Amino acid sequence: MIRCRDLEKIYEGGKAGWPALCGVSFSITPGESVAVTGPSGCGKSTLLNIIGLLDEPSGGGYEFDGLDAARMSDGERSAARLHRIGFVFQAFHLLNRLPAVENVCLPMMYAGETSEGMRRRAHELLARVGLKGKERKTPLELSGGERQRVAIARALANSPKLLLADEPTGNLDSASSREIMDILFGLVGEGMTVIIVTHDRELAVRAGRNIKMRDGKIESI
Amino acid sequence: MTRALYNAARTGLSEILAHKTRSTLSFLAIAAGSVVFIDAFSAIVATYARLESQKAVSGIARMKISQNHGRAIADVDDYQSPPVITYDDVLRLRERVPGLHMVSPEGSSWRNMLEHDGQRVVTRVAGITPEWRKRDFVYDLKGRFIDWHDVDEKLRVCVLVRPAPPEPANALFKTMRQKYNFMGGYDLLVTHNDLLGRVIKIDGVNFTVIGVLDELPPSRKPPRIWWSGGDYKTLAPVTTLMHYGILRSHNSLDVSIDAGDEKGFDEALRLVRNFLKVRYGDEDLFVVENQMDAIKENMARNISSSLVTISLGMLAFIAGGIGIMNVTLATVFARTKEIGVRRAIGAGRGDIMLQFVVEAVMLGLIGGLLGTALGWFWGVPAKVMLGMPPSPIKIWMPVVSVLIAALTAFVFAIYPAWVAAGLKPAEALRAE
Repeated sequence: MIRCRDLEKIYEGGKAGWPALCGVSFSITPGESVAVTGPSGCGKSTLLNIIGLLDEPSGGGYEFDGLDAARMSDGERSAARLHRIGFVFQAFHLLNRLPAVENVCLPMMYAGETSEGMRRRAHELLARVGLKGKERKTPLELSGGERQRVAIARALANSPKLLLADEPTGNLDSASSREIMDILFGLVGEGMTVIIVTHDRELAVRAGRNIKMRDGKIESI
Repeated sequence: MTRALYNAARTGLSEILAHKTRSTLSFLAIAAGSVVFIDAFSAIVATYARLESQKAVSGIARMKISQNHGRAIADVDDYQSPPVITYDDVLRLRERVPGLHMVSPEGSSWRNMLEHDGQRVVTRVAGITPEWRKRDFVYDLKGRFIDWHDVDEKLRVCVLVRPAPPEPANALFKTMRQKYNFMGGYDLLVTHNDLLGRVIKIDGVNFTVIGVLDELPPSRKPPRIWWSGGDYKTLAPVTTLMHYGILRSHNSLDVSIDAGDEKGFDEALRLVRNFLKVRYGDEDLFVVENQMDAIKENMARNISSSLVTISLGMLAFIAGGIGIMNVTLATVFARTKEIGVRRAIGAGRGDIMLQFVVEAVMLGLIGGLLGTALGWFWGVPAKVMLGMPPSPIKIWMPVVSVLIAALTAFVFAIYPAWVAAGLKPAEALRAE
């Protein structure tokens, strides 16, 4: 499903730029759960952004679901993010002025789903992540763990094949972290490919594979 | 596409409601344009309405013959009274220049004495014919008007003009009226006495009052671009006044002419000038005022001043548009992270662009509606309260105004929306 070959990412700055990824190569098959770990600044999030088609590598090749990312137009990348990739962020990245159900509806809105269909599915997903009865609450009225559940429900809205989570438990207490982990690994059990960037050892241990990174390179797989 | 537009409109509305102060400022900027626009449009419509009314009530192809009082005299000792236009000359002119709609002679000696029931007041008697009422007849007639029989038989009949009750006016106007209206006694006499059918004396000659003309109040007077009527008080057949010496032989008649239509005006003017040349020689003894050109110049001035107002409206719209661009750009930068989130969950560049354009167009639409409401309020109730004539606001004016407001917002939102759509998702997500 995912194939990276000698991925490089150099951010502009200074004479030579700042290298975030230096020759990263690996593959992930469908249904795998992979944890990407390493110290801060080692390039984990950069790698996740490239895998999620949010960013483009400076060098090397990346194949997603059989498609060469370098040949994809911006529209194709957007369509892939819309239908095949779900994102969960450490800072949740929910729209605070919208209630939970509207946040979950957003990806379906861009997919052209009907209003009724969107709402039905959003309610199902919120019930699935344990937020039944809290659909009309805005993110500011929810706890950190609840916000992350809304973010997971939003990520699952268009039934993606790949779920990317960037430090999903980074802002949560241990009890909430465990609940979020259970939800994420439950998805793996349903056949979804899940890639989690994390500092959380417990989370990394539960993943099927652990990619350890240091200084923009893979230390071990 | 409809669903995308609907969703963008919903998001836009929630954004507008979420940022009330910012939105209100944008509305006001666009609303100012709408107000000025509606005012200018209605001013142009009013100008054309005045033109139509002018055509119907006063005519356009007008000219007036009068004595040339500015003529230079070579030698004072050799001064001879200049020739005058007599009633016979008017009849001859009618004969020589056929097809004219109106040839209305008017003679006046400016100050006459009117006596009724022992009361004497100063008046101005104008000698006229029935043609007088063909143009600028903005009165309500009680009794009857002077007819050709009166003129031909030199009958001692007259028509009195009763002034309209004064409109609410400022103190200065009232004071000036009191100071300069030396015929105030006449006004009081005809206002407070029903003289219809009664016999009065003009300069000692008995006249029967056959009609009373009630002046229309300003609010009921048809609007016109150019007013050719004078301040009439007492009207009598021109032949009668001449016969009884109220008009003397040295009093030249003025002749108001309406050629009937604009096409025939130049030819009529040429024929009238030719008639005067043949009748009185080459000397510049009479002036033929080309009133049609004056009317047209007046109309052009009215329209150009409305165009200036429309330009101001356009400037106000552009200023409003720049305001919307500014607000939208500020919104884009304030919501960079949100743009990143939307891009991450699958929104394409088109979705982001659509969202900001629709939001700006909604600001424009609401601003346009607000401006239209304010424009109507200023144009109708406010102007009436201030004693001004209300603006003729047509149904298409608010529609056009709102459309222009929305179009302005659309045009000025394209750049910020393009900036928003061009943000890279990963960089937008990192924005603080």
